[in-house]
Amino acid sequence: MTEAVSHLQKALAAGRFVVTGEIGPPKGTNLGPVIHEAEHYLKGRVVAVNVTDIQTAVMRAGSLVGCKLLLDHGIEPVFQMVTRDRNRLALQSDLLSAYILGVRNVLALTGDHVAMGDHPEAKPVYDLDSVGLLQAIARLESGSDLGRDPKGNPNQLDGVPKFFKGCCVTPCAEEVEPQIIKLEKKAAAGAQFVQTQAVYDPAAFEKFMKRIAHIKIPVLVGIVVLKSAGMAKYMNRSVPGVQVPDAIIKELAAAPKENLKKVAAEIAGRLVREMKGMCQGAHLMTLGWDDVVPDILQSAGLAP
Amino acid sequence: MIVAERKPLDQILEALAPARRILVLGCGSCVTVCLTGGEKQADELAAQLRLAARQKGLDLTAEVDCITRQCDREFAQNLKADPSTYDAVLSMACGVGVGFMSELFPQVPVLPGLNTTFYGANVASGVWAEYCHGCGDCVLAWTGGICPIARCSKSLINGTCGGTNKGKCEVSKDMDCGWLLIYNRLKTLGRLEELKKLRAPRDWRKDRGAGVRRLTHQELVKLEEEAKA
Amino acid sequence: MRDADLTSKDVARLAATTDLMEREWAPCRYGCPVHADVRGYLEAIAEGRWREAIDIIRDRLPFASVCGRICHHPCEVNCRRTDVDQPVAIREVKRFVAEWQGAGGSTVHKAAVQDKARIAIVGAGPSGLSAALELAKRGYRPTVFEKFPVAGGIPATAIPTYRLPRDVLRIDTDWILAHGVELRTGLEIGKDKSLDDLRQEGFAAIILATGLSTSRLLPMPGADHPRVLPALRFLTDVVFGRPVDLGQDVLVVGGGNVAVDAARTALRLGAARVRMMFLESLDEMPAYKWEQDEALEEGITFTPRRGPTEVLMKGGRIVGVKARGVTRVFDENKRFDPRYDDADVITLDCDTVILAIGQAADMGFLRGGSLWTDARGRVPWTPATQQTSLPWVFACGEIVTPPGSVVEACASGRRVAEAVDLFLSGREIGLDDTLPPHIDKMTAGVGEKVVKAPREAVAAEPPHERKTSFTPVDRNLSAEAAAREARRCMSCGAGAEVLVDKCAACLTCLRVCPFEIPKVTDVARIDSVLCQSCGICIAECPANAIIARGWNPKSLPARAGATLAALPAGGKTLAYIGGYRAMPADWRGESEAVPGVAEVYLPSVARLSVMDLLAPFERGAERVLVVACPDGADRYPRTAQRLRRRVDQARQLLAEAGLGADRLGLLEVADQGRPAIREALAAAHQVAIR
Repeated sequence: MTEAVSHLQKALAAGRFVVTGEIGPPKGTNLGPVIHEAEHYLKGRVVAVNVTDIQTAVMRAGSLVGCKLLLDHGIEPVFQMVTRDRNRLALQSDLLSAYILGVRNVLALTGDHVAMGDHPEAKPVYDLDSVGLLQAIARLESGSDLGRDPKGNPNQLDGVPKFFKGCCVTPCAEEVEPQIIKLEKKAAAGAQFVQTQAVYDPAAFEKFMKRIAHIKIPVLVGIVVLKSAGMAKYMNRSVPGVQVPDAIIKELAAAPKENLKKVAAEIAGRLVREMKGMCQGAHLMTLGWDDVVPDILQSAGLAP
Repeated sequence: MIVAERKPLDQILEALAPARRILVLGCGSCVTVCLTGGEKQADELAAQLRLAARQKGLDLTAEVDCITRQCDREFAQNLKADPSTYDAVLSMACGVGVGFMSELFPQVPVLPGLNTTFYGANVASGVWAEYCHGCGDCVLAWTGGICPIARCSKSLINGTCGGTNKGKCEVSKDMDCGWLLIYNRLKTLGRLEELKKLRAPRDWRKDRGAGVRRLTHQELVKLEEEAKA
Repeated sequence: MRDADLTSKDVARLAATTDLMEREWAPCRYGCPVHADVRGYLEAIAEGRWREAIDIIRDRLPFASVCGRICHHPCEVNCRRTDVDQPVAIREVKRFVAEWQGAGGSTVHKAAVQDKARIAIVGAGPSGLSAALELAKRGYRPTVFEKFPVAGGIPATAIPTYRLPRDVLRIDTDWILAHGVELRTGLEIGKDKSLDDLRQEGFAAIILATGLSTSRLLPMPGADHPRVLPALRFLTDVVFGRPVDLGQDVLVVGGGNVAVDAARTALRLGAARVRMMFLESLDEMPAYKWEQDEALEEGITFTPRRGPTEVLMKGGRIVGVKARGVTRVFDENKRFDPRYDDADVITLDCDTVILAIGQAADMGFLRGGSLWTDARGRVPWTPATQQTSLPWVFACGEIVTPPGSVVEACASGRRVAEAVDLFLSGREIGLDDTLPPHIDKMTAGVGEKVVKAPREAVAAEPPHERKTSFTPVDRNLSAEAAAREARRCMSCGAGAEVLVDKCAACLTCLRVCPFEIPKVTDVARIDSVLCQSCGICIAECPANAIIARGWNPKSLPARAGATLAALPAGGKTLAYIGGYRAMPADWRGESEAVPGVAEVYLPSVARLSVMDLLAPFERGAERVLVVACPDGADRYPRTAQRLRRRVDQARQLLAEAGLGADRLGLLEVADQGRPAIREALAAAHQVAIR
C-alpha cells in the first residue's frame, strides 16, 4: 500500500466516514471573506475543502490561489481542475505549480461549457477531457509528461509530484450506464476517490452504489444545501441528474423565513445520515452558507 | 455538405460601402442545396440591396450572376458578367468560394454574403445539423458513426460529461447530447466495448493544431510538373 | 417519349421556352386530325382571351364553328383528364368561343398580295374550302366551284339544322372567303364546264374536292318505289325546303350518322313511328354514341343485326320490309364482309323506307375531261403527293380518302394545298407527315392527387319538346361555364422541365411537389407525362434550374411593371390574384378596378416566387397584395401553405431592407367572387395609403 500523500487519503484509507466542504473564490481579488468563512466553519470540522475552478464558467479568482491560502491557514485543500479553459500544457504546468505550493488533493473535472457562464464569447479549450486529465496527472506522477523531447523520447521531470486524485460522477443521471462506464475509465486512468453530483434520493443512491461495487474506490456523496424551495425547483428543472423529491420541496416551502437555514441544515444533515452507510463520505456544497456546516454535521450525527 | 447562412443585410451594406456597382454572385453547389446562396437567393439579395439602397438614399446597383462552384478555377470561365467592371463582388458562396474568387479577381473586393458555419446534413425539412468538424482524424469507426468532435459541444472523447439533461446537451435543449447518441448507437450495434476503451489524449495536430491544412494527391502534382517540364 | 435532358444552353438558343411545347404533344393535339393546339386555346379561354383562343383554333381548323357543333372530338377521347374525373368538354368550349366571336371576331390573315397562280377547286365542302383558304393565305388565287347554291358541302346540304344551324356554318365559310377566296355557286363541273375547260381558262392546277354526295342504293325487289328514299337526297330536300314524300311509319335502313340524321329528321317531319334497322350489332353500330342516345331519347327504336331483302307492297303502297338475320358484319381483318342467315327472316311493317347504307361519289365532274377513272371506277390517286394521274390535277377529301369527318376533311384540304404549292413552285412534292411524340397516359398515383372538378353540363332540350322541331337540341355554354370548363385542362406537356446543368440535386423540387413527381439521381428530372404545371417547384428551386414549357416564369415582374405603369401616379398597390375561381371578365380587366390597385391575374398563385413578391417594389408599387384561395380551395394541393411561407419569407427580406413587413399582404379570399375580392383589395389598399 502506497503511503498517503494527504489527510484526505489517510482518513479514507482508515475507513472513517469523511466529510469534505467547498468554497468558491470571488469574482475579484477579495479572497479574504471566503477564507475567513472556511477558517471559522470548516476548519477542524471537515477533512478537506474543495476550491472550485471558474465554476459554471463564471470568471473568478483561480482555484490554485484559493488552495494556497487555505494551506496557509492550516486547512487541507482539494484543487479542482476543469479542462475547459486550459490546454494540456497549462494543466500540467498548474499541477506542478500546485504541488510546489503544497497541494496534494486534485479533482479532475471536464467543466461546464462556456455557454453556461458569463463569458459566452470565450473559446472553449477541452484539449483534454476529465479522463485525459487523470492520465496526465498519472503521467506526471510517473516522472514524465504528455510530451516528447526533440528526439521523440519521453520527457523526464526534474522533481516528481504525487497527488491524491479524485473525479466526479452523477449517480442520479437519467442514463446511468454511460456514467458508470466513464467512472470505470476514470478509475482505470488513476482516479482514487469520487465526489458525486448532488443526491437527494437515498434509495436511488443505494441502487447506484450497488452497481459500482466493482469500482473499488471510495465515494463521497455530494449534497448541495437547498437554500429555498425555489432553488430546489430550479435544480430539478435545470441541473441535470439532480432530483429533489417533492417532500423536501414542501418542507422548504413550509419553513418560515427566519427558520430557513435551520431547516436547510436539517434536511442536509438528514440526507447525510440516511446515506452514511452506503458510502465512504459526504461532500458538502454550501454555496456560501458555510455557517450551517456545524448544524449539518450535528444533524447527521457526525459532530465531533 | 458545407452549410452557411445569410449575413444580416445591414452587415452586408456596411461592408459594401462605398461601392456602388455590385455584382451578386451565386454558387450552384453546397449553398444552393442549403437554400442560402443559390441563384434564386442571389436574385433576392440583389433585390433587397436595391430596395434598401432606395430607402437609405444610397447610390447602388446590383446585378446577378451565378456559376456552378466558386472553388474551382474553370467555372469562373462561365461568368457572364465581368467582375473587374464592378466596384465589389458580393459572393454568396461559402468562405472557400469567397476566398478563392478574391484570388482569381484580386483587383476587385470580393465580400462574403454568407457566414459559413459547419459541415452538415439535412436532418429535416429546412433543417441542417452539424455532423462533422473536419478534424482530420476521423474516429467514427469507434463511435458508431456519430462524431464526438462535432456533435459533443465539448468535443470530449471518453463519453458523456455530467451535463446531459434529458438527453440534451447542457448548452441547449435543442442540442442532442452527442455522447448519449453514441452510447445508444453502440448499444444498438452491440459494440459497447468501444465506449469502455480508455482513449488517450487526442492529437489535435490534424485539426489546425499544426496550422493551415492542405490535401495533395502526389501523382497529379507530378503529372503537372512533368507537363510543364 | 421524351428526348434528351435540357440544359440552359438549349434554352438560350430557343426564341421562347414555349418552343419546347413542340418537342412532345399533349394527346389531345396528337389525336386531333388537324393537330390544333388544344392546350393553347383552352388556356386562352380559361383566361377570357376569346379572340386569341379562336385565332389559335383557326390557325389549324378553318371550320371551327362547325366542328364546335358536330365534331367527333378525338381530342376529348384522348383527354387525360378522363383518368382523373371526366374529360374536358373541348368541343363545347370550342363551340362557345367560335360562336361568341362570330366571323368578324376572328383575325383574317389575308396575304398582302395575291398574285400567284389561279387554282380551281371543285366542290365547296370542308376539304375544298380548307384547301382554298390555305392557298389564298399563300398568295394564290383560288376559285371554288360549287354545284349547290350554298358553300359548305355536306354540312350545308345534308346535316340537319337541329344539329348544325346554318348561321353557324356561315361563320366559318364567311371567314374563309374573307381571305380572298372566289366562290362560284350554281356551277357544276362536268355539266357547265369540264376539267379541261378549266385548264384552258388558265387555272394552273385543279383540286378535286367533290366528296361523297350521293347515297348508295340497295338493289332489291321494290327498291324503285318512290317512297324508298336515298338518305342524302331526303336530307337535302328537307334542308332546301323541297317537298318530301314521307309516310307515318318510317324504316331507316342503316346504322351510321346519316341514318340517324334521316331518322331524327323524319320524326321531326311528323312521322308517327321511326325505326332504324342495320346489319351491325348494337355495340358495332357506327353512329356517334351521343347521336344514338339522343335518337333513343326521342323515341326512335333500333333493330340491329338485320339486312333487308325485299320491299313488300300491297296495292301500290309499301307495307313492310322483309329482313334476314345477320351472323356477322366484319371478317377477322375487320373488313366489311357480312354473312346472313337466310332461314331467319322477319317482316317489319312500314310505309316508307329510307336507305342510309353509305355514301358514294358522284363522278359526273369527269365528263368531258381527260381524266379517266381507274379499273375500279375511282379517281386514280397517289396519297403521298395527293396527285391524280394528271400531275396538275390533285384530289382531297372523301372523294379519295376513306369516309371521314369534317375535321379530317380539313386536314386533307390543308395537305393538298401544301402539295399544290410545292408543285407550282417547281419543287418536288415531299410532304412531311411525321409528328412529335405524344405524352403518355397518366399514372393512377398522380391522377388521384389532382383536385377534382366536375365537367360542365350542357343544357339539352327535353326530348319530347325537341323532336317536334328543328331548333338546336342543346344550348351553348355560358362564358363563365366555358372558362370554368377550360380551367379543368391539366396543361399536359406545359409543365416543369429541369435544366440539368444548373441543377444541384438539392431535392427541393422532390420535396415540394404535391404530386410526388420529380425523381433525383444525379440531377432532378420531372416526368412530363405526370407534371400538372402548378409551378410550385419552379418557384422554389434555389438554382433557378427549372423552366416551364408552357409559360415564362420570368415574365411576371415585367407584367406587374406594365400594369403598374398604367396607373396614375401616387400610392400604387400591385395585386396578384389567383384567378382559378374568377370570372372571365376579371381576367379581361372588365370588372371594376379599385383605384390605385393594379391587378395581375394568374392561373394559380402556386407559381408566385419570393422574387415575384419583391419585384413590384422596384417597379413602382408601394404595396403588394396577394389574393389567394384558402386551404383546400385552390387548384393545386397544398398551395395555400406554400404561399404563406413565401409571403413570410418575402416579408422578412422587406423588413431587413427597411421597407416594413406590412408592405406585403395576403388575402385568402380568391374563392369568394369578385365583389368580395374587390372589397378586400379596397380595404387593404386604404390601410396602406392612410
